[in-house]
Amino acid sequence: MAASTESATSARFSVDNVDKLTNIDDIRRAFELLNKDESSVTEELEDLLHQQHELEIKMQSLHATLPSLQLVQNDSKQLSGMISFTSTLAENVSSKVRQLDVAKSRVTACMTRVEDILDLKFCTDGVQAALQDEDYEKAAGHIHRFLGLDENVLRMSADADEGSTLDTSFKLLKEAQNKVKHFVHRKFDEAVHQGDVASVERFFKIFPLIGEHDEGLKKFSKYLCAQLADTADKNLKQCLATGPEDKRTNVMYADTMTLLFEAIARVVEIHQPLVETYYGPGRMFVMMQLLQKECDRQSRKVLIQFRNNREFDEKLQKVQQANMQSKTSLAENRINASDLDRMLSECTLLNTRSELYLRFVKRRILNDLEIASHLDAEEVHKEVNQFIVSCELSRQMQELICSYIMMEEYFMREMFLKAVIMDYLDEGSLTSSMVDDAFFIVKKCIRRALSSSSVDGICAMLNHGCSILEQDYREHLYSKLKTGFPSGFDFTQAYNLVQLSISQGRLQSADVETEKTKSTFLTALNNTEVSCEYIQTLKSDLEGEVNKLYGQTTDQGKAKLQSCLSDLGIVSNHFKDVLEFGFSQLNSTAVKPRVKPLVDTFLNINHNISEDDFAQYEANDPWVQNFILNLDGLLVTFKSTLTSTNYDSLVSQLSTEITTQLEKTVMKTTFNRLGGLHFDKELRYLVGFLTSVTTWTIRDKFARLTQMATILNLEKVSEILDYWGQNSGPLTWRLTPAEVRQVLALRVDFRSDDIKRIKL
Amino acid sequence: MEDYKYLFKVVLIGNAGVGKTCLVRRFTQGLFPPGQGATIGVDFMIKTVEIDGEKVKLQIWDTAGQERFRSITQGYYRSANALIVVYDISCQPTFDCLPQWLKEIEHYASTKVFSYLVGNKSDRASQREIPAYVGEDFARLHDMEFIETSAKEADNVDSLFYDIAKELTRLARQNSLRSHVSETDLSGGSTSISSISSCCRFS
Repeated sequence: MAASTESATSARFSVDNVDKLTNIDDIRRAFELLNKDESSVTEELEDLLHQQHELEIKMQSLHATLPSLQLVQNDSKQLSGMISFTSTLAENVSSKVRQLDVAKSRVTACMTRVEDILDLKFCTDGVQAALQDEDYEKAAGHIHRFLGLDENVLRMSADADEGSTLDTSFKLLKEAQNKVKHFVHRKFDEAVHQGDVASVERFFKIFPLIGEHDEGLKKFSKYLCAQLADTADKNLKQCLATGPEDKRTNVMYADTMTLLFEAIARVVEIHQPLVETYYGPGRMFVMMQLLQKECDRQSRKVLIQFRNNREFDEKLQKVQQANMQSKTSLAENRINASDLDRMLSECTLLNTRSELYLRFVKRRILNDLEIASHLDAEEVHKEVNQFIVSCELSRQMQELICSYIMMEEYFMREMFLKAVIMDYLDEGSLTSSMVDDAFFIVKKCIRRALSSSSVDGICAMLNHGCSILEQDYREHLYSKLKTGFPSGFDFTQAYNLVQLSISQGRLQSADVETEKTKSTFLTALNNTEVSCEYIQTLKSDLEGEVNKLYGQTTDQGKAKLQSCLSDLGIVSNHFKDVLEFGFSQLNSTAVKPRVKPLVDTFLNINHNISEDDFAQYEANDPWVQNFILNLDGLLVTFKSTLTSTNYDSLVSQLSTEITTQLEKTVMKTTFNRLGGLHFDKELRYLVGFLTSVTTWTIRDKFARLTQMATILNLEKVSEILDYWGQNSGPLTWRLTPAEVRQVLALRVDFRSDDIKRIKL
Repeated sequence: MEDYKYLFKVVLIGNAGVGKTCLVRRFTQGLFPPGQGATIGVDFMIKTVEIDGEKVKLQIWDTAGQERFRSITQGYYRSANALIVVYDISCQPTFDCLPQWLKEIEHYASTKVFSYLVGNKSDRASQREIPAYVGEDFARLHDMEFIETSAKEADNVDSLFYDIAKELTRLARQNSLRSHVSETDLSGGSTSISSISSCCRFS
C-alpha cells in the first residue's frame, strides 16, 4: 500500500505536471507510472467485483430463509396457545382430582363408619354369642372394640331408619358391657375368694378391655394386699413365737419388716409386667399407692409389736425423764444399757430396711412413669416424692428415728459418763482407760447411726457426738488440767522421797497426795493429746464410711453430712487449745521456776577470762555440764510419763524458756574474746544435748542465742560487717541492729565509739 | 476452695407452718413457692453475702417444725452462731409456744447465742392475732432482736439475714481482736464466739 500511494503521489505529481513535461524520458516515465496506476486500479476493481458475487450469494440465501422465518413465528404463536390451553386443562383436571381425593377420603371415612357399624353389629352379635359361650375374653374383646368407637359420630351418620337398629345395638352392647362388668367383678371376687390365682389373673386382664382400668387395679391390688396381709400375719406370728435363744432374736422385728418388704417387692416384680402389658405404662403409681396402704398397715402392726415387746415407749419415757432432770443426775430406775443397746441397733436396721424399700418403690414408679412420658416430668417427680415422704411408713420411721436419736444420745452420754467414772490408770500406761472408752462409745454410736441410712439421723448423732466431746469430755479434761501441776517440790526429790517412804514402809500422806496430783495432771495432758489425735482419726474414719455408704444420696444430703463432719474437725482444734492450756500450766509450775535458778547460775561464771582460766574451764567446765545434768534430771521424770508428742512439746517449751532466760542473763554478763569463745562452746553443748533428747528440731529456737555467741566471738568490732547485710549469706539475722550493738557492748574489750561508728 | 472470710451457721426454729422454709427460700432463691410440703428433718442452704466488702457465707439450717423431728433438730443448736425463732403473726398458738422454744435453746444451744425473734406473714394484716408491740416486748424481755417479715411479699426478709450477717461479722471481728489481746478463752462451755473464731478459715 505504501508503495502504491507513493506511486500514486508520484503519478499525480507526474500527471499534474504532464503539460510541463518536456523530456521524452520524463514523459515515458510518467506514462509508465500511469500504466502502473491503471493496472492497480483495475486489480482493485476486479477484487471488488469478485466480492460482489459472494455478497449476492449471501443475499440470495437470506432471501431464501425469509419465508421460513415467518413460518417459525406462526408456529410459536400456535405453541403458546396450545400450552395455555393445556395448562387450563390441567388445572381443571387437578381440581377434579382434588375433589376426587376429598370424595375418596370421605368414602374411606364412610367405609370405616360402615365397618364400625358392621363391627358394632358384629360386636353385638359376638358379645351375645360369647356371653352365651361364657367366653369372657372374647366378649370383653368385643366390648373393647365397641368402646373404641365414637358413639356420637356413629349416631350422627346414622340414617333415620337405620338409627333404630344402631340404637338397639348400642343398647345391647351397653347392656352387654354392664353384664360383662358385673360378671367379671363377680367372677373376680369369686376367684379371689376361692384363691384361684389363674382366674384372678384371667379376669384381671379383662378389666382394661371393658374400660375398667382403675377398678381393675383397685380390685387386683386389694387381692394382692389380702395376700400380703396373710403372709405378713404369718410372719409376725412366727416372729412372736421366736424364742429368746434364737440367734436372730435381737433383730426379729427388723427381720419381720424385711420379710414384709421383700414380699411386696416380689409382688411388684411379678405383677408389674402384667400391669404394663394389659393396662399400659404409667399405671404402676396407682397400684403402688394401693399396695403402700397395706404396707403401712402391716408395718404399723410390726412396729406396735416392736414397741410393746421391746418396751420401746417405756425406755423412751425414761430417757425423756432423765433428760428433763439434770444431765448429770442419775435416774433412779436406770435403763439396762445392753438392752437399750440391742434395741437401738434394731431401730437402725428397721430404718435402713424401710429406706431401701421406699427407694425401690420410688424407682419402680418413676421408671414406669418415664415410659408414659406424656406427663410433666418435674410435676410427676414432685408428686411421687410427696407420696413417698408422706406415706405412713415414712412418718412412722421418722418418729422412730427421732426417738432413736434421743435414746442413742442418752446411751452415748450414759456410757460416756460411766467411762469417766470408771476411769483408771493402768500401771505403765500413759493415758487412762477413759480415752479409749470414750472414743469407742462415740464411734460406736455414730457408726450405728450411720447404719440407719437416715442422713438427718447421722447428722444429728454427729452433732450430739461433737457436743459430748466438746462439752462434757473437753470440760472434764480441762478441769483436770486446771488444778495444775503441783509446784514447790523438786520432782526427783519427791520421787526419791516416795521411793524412800515406800521402802521404809510408811507413806507420807502429803507426798502421796502431791504425787497423785502430778500423775493425774500428766495423765490428763496425755489424754488430751491422744484425744486430739483420736478425733482426727474418728473424723477421717467416718468420712471414709460416709463416702462409701452415702455416695448415692442427694447433693444436699452430702453437703449436710460434710458440714457436720467438718464440725468434728473444729472440735479437735478446741482440744488443741486445751492441750496448750495444759502446757502453759505445766510450764508455769514445773518448767519456769526450775529453769530460772538454773540459768541464773550462769551469772556466777566469769566470762571475762584469761588464757589460764580458759584452759581450766576447758578441763573442768564450771557451768554447762551441771546445767545439762539438771535439765536431764528434770526431763527424765517426764520422759516415762508423757506421750512422745507431749514430751517433745515439753522439750520445746523448755527450750523456749531456756532461750528467753539465757538471753536475759547473757545480756547481764560481760565477755572478753576468750569468754565469748567459751560461751560459744557452752551453747553448742547445750543445743547438742537438747537436740539429742527430742525428735523435733530445736536449733531454730536457739538462733538468736547462736547469733549472739557469734557476735561475742568476734576479733574486732568491724568484723561484724563480714556477717551483716550483704555478707550475711544464708544467715538470717534474728537480732535487730540495736540488739547487735547491745551485744557488742557486752565485750569489755570493744570500744563503745567503735560500736557507735559501725553502720548496720 | 471458695473464697470467703467468715462462715456462720444460722438455724431457724419455730412451730410447723410458720414459714421457716419460705423465709429461707425467699432469701436464698428469691422464690415464694406456695403449697410447700412440711420440711422433713433438716434442710440446708448456703448464701454468700457481702458485709463491708468482705464475703460472708451463711449456712442456713432450716429445721422441721413438727414435733417428731425435734431430737434431730436439737443437735444443731449448739454449733449455731445465730438462731432465728419464727412465729406466725396470724396464729396465736405459734406465739404461745415461744417460751417452749426458748427453753429448748437454753437447754441445747451454747450460752448467749445471738438470737432473733421473727413474726412472719406480716402480709396477713387482716388476720393478725399478735400485735407487733407484743412480739417486740417479748423479744426485749428475752434479750433478742425483733423483726416482722413477709416471705410472700419479700418484706424485711433480706434485711433480717443481712442484719444477722452484719452482727455476726461484728462479733467475729471483735473476738479476733480480743483473742489477740488476751489468752484463749477456755473457761466454761464454749461460747458462740469461740466457735466463730474457729469458723474463720480460708481468708
